[in-house]
Amino acid sequence: MIKKNISVLFIVIALFSFVSCSEDSNPEYDTQTFTTIFDNNKFDASYFPIDMQETPDGGYVILGGRKLADNNFTGIYLLKADKFGNFVKEIEVEETSVNPVADFVEFQTKYYFFCMDPLTQVAQIASVDANLEAVTITPVQGGLTYPAASAFVDNNFVLLGYNNGDKQTVISILNADGGILETQGYSIGTGEDVEEPIIKHYIRTGKQYPFEVGKIANGLYFFNGFYNYTFSLVFTDFGDDPVGVVQGQQDDGGFSAVTPLNGNKFASSRFNFGDNYLLPNKELSTSGTTSSTDLGGYSLPELVSNARVKILRAAVDSKNVLIYGSDTKSKQIGLLYYEESTGKFISSRYLGFSNPFEIASLVQTSDEGLAVCGTTYLAGRFPRICIFKLSKDQLISDATVSE
Amino acid sequence: MKRLNLFLLCLLIVVGVFGQEKKRKPSAYNKQKQSQEDEKFLEKQWWLGFKAGANLSKANVEKTYSIIAPTNYEASTIGKKYDSYNLLGSQATIEVSFYFKRFLLSFQPTYQHSRFSYSNSFEWSSTDEAANHVQLTFEQEQKLDHMIFPLIIKYDIYGNKLRPYVQIGAYSALLLNATKSITTTGIDNAAGGENEFATETINVGATDLFAKYHWGLMGGIGVNYNLGNNVRLNLDAMYKLGMSNISSTENRYGNDRLSGVGEAMDDLTLDNISVSLGCLFPMRFLSSGFKTLDK
Repeated sequence: MIKKNISVLFIVIALFSFVSCSEDSNPEYDTQTFTTIFDNNKFDASYFPIDMQETPDGGYVILGGRKLADNNFTGIYLLKADKFGNFVKEIEVEETSVNPVADFVEFQTKYYFFCMDPLTQVAQIASVDANLEAVTITPVQGGLTYPAASAFVDNNFVLLGYNNGDKQTVISILNADGGILETQGYSIGTGEDVEEPIIKHYIRTGKQYPFEVGKIANGLYFFNGFYNYTFSLVFTDFGDDPVGVVQGQQDDGGFSAVTPLNGNKFASSRFNFGDNYLLPNKELSTSGTTSSTDLGGYSLPELVSNARVKILRAAVDSKNVLIYGSDTKSKQIGLLYYEESTGKFISSRYLGFSNPFEIASLVQTSDEGLAVCGTTYLAGRFPRICIFKLSKDQLISDATVSE
Repeated sequence: MKRLNLFLLCLLIVVGVFGQEKKRKPSAYNKQKQSQEDEKFLEKQWWLGFKAGANLSKANVEKTYSIIAPTNYEASTIGKKYDSYNLLGSQATIEVSFYFKRFLLSFQPTYQHSRFSYSNSFEWSSTDEAANHVQLTFEQEQKLDHMIFPLIIKYDIYGNKLRPYVQIGAYSALLLNATKSITTTGIDNAAGGENEFATETINVGATDLFAKYHWGLMGGIGVNYNLGNNVRLNLDAMYKLGMSNISSTENRYGNDRLSGVGEAMDDLTLDNISVSLGCLFPMRFLSSGFKTLDK
């Protein structure tokens, strides 16, 4: 009798142990990992992301572009998603401002970006709050035109622009009100042919160049843009002539991404007549004139021709890693992980399937995960903004060297 | 083929039990006393059996998830439409039951293969040009293999030769395997005419997308028919009411192939109706001749 009772008890305990293992809903999982594609059901609508920021509430604000029916330039599109990736709000900014450029910068509870007046091409500085309640746009002083890229350094903005009157690439330091603190222009060379790829970039009928701007540890500023007939990485102290230039191959070669590490070391990537090379930890000469084609790098045939590359410095499980995001020929977003200190390859991850996916922005989130913003083409044709959110555990797994 | 094997196994058990039967000669004991002893003996019995059959499933949505987040239209227009009890599954069960005064406590470990499906559609159209219209429809089928561990109480309503019963219980389920297939069809009017197309079906292993364990309640009816030679034929109908989520909350977005086509599993419970046919035979005998006195 006792044996039978024990048997029954054993069965009941086994049953309840399974019940206790049942899958409970956990909102934390829903914030740690998700994929979202923001869809508009208009046939002619076209949206693409430019940059993304995480907001204090754990959500995301995305700076994007949109196709305009009556303008050659790109319209401005802003989107707010909550921490689960759900759509919250969107703003299609009026066509009196166009051509939004990265970086999308958080400063004093607002998010700043540069854009321009479509009639005068004068650069404008725009700000928006985390909930997209209101967008404020004001022209920058000094008549800076054709913004191409910006960065936020030492509580000031560094803006890269183009002056098509003087045929100059212009780097400027501005305060948050759009006042110019310093500016300098450098000639792109003379002749219509030199300017043509730049204009095509702005109206998006040609190659999209990876314009970038920033500051390195030794106090020099840099920009990745056109200088002296060539798409080059230029180091400057705002003097009349650059301090250093790493030349590309006219408009067919140069750097596709540049992130300063320390000293003269950079995490970078370059393109050269369609080929792509990653240089996770490379010392670059910040003085004199050198050539990017001499730098070598890891060749990645899996990437599309002249691939767009985004680099993120991330701290993962007390380790500094570099995450390269790029577009693969299989129409996925490829993430490549390298040790920052050595440039050693760690692992890779590929996002997306079926529909094409393209990289736009990488953000390490407050929960120590990774958010990847990109463009996908729903039904293989409609450009829409997407977010892939990877959890801290996934990131640690990716950034751990397999023995 | 699997079903044929199950049937043959069932047949073997029946034949084996038939072969064990021996004729018992009438005894000289007092018939009344014998009858009382027999009745007392028949108050308790262990039964062992096997049954197999078919099932139909229905998914109930607890919370909806979608990768596609509409910005200018209602999310309900692209919601998943679940089909109920439309795809046939199968199951095979080993039954161990203890009988005591018309009540049976029954443990019935079951291998269950269940299927359910749903579909959703997306449309893009132009207000300026009517021909600019594209529609996509995703048909999604899930196939789940579970090991079910039910604990059931049965009650024999009446009878001897024919014994109808009712049953109620609870079960826990262990996921063994899951697959998912997505078929995409569409109509593209923007190509200059009505272009109907279908893409290749995506088949993926989906075990990670489903919960390792879930549980539920169950109830049903059945009938045993005593063949008179230690064997009962059993016809059993059961309704299982899923009580916990069958989707994995952690791995909802874990499959890039599905995320790429906008697919994320909802939180679901699974209801299931099954009908099984099998046989039972007793484990306690009055004599070495395997006579049970079952009438």
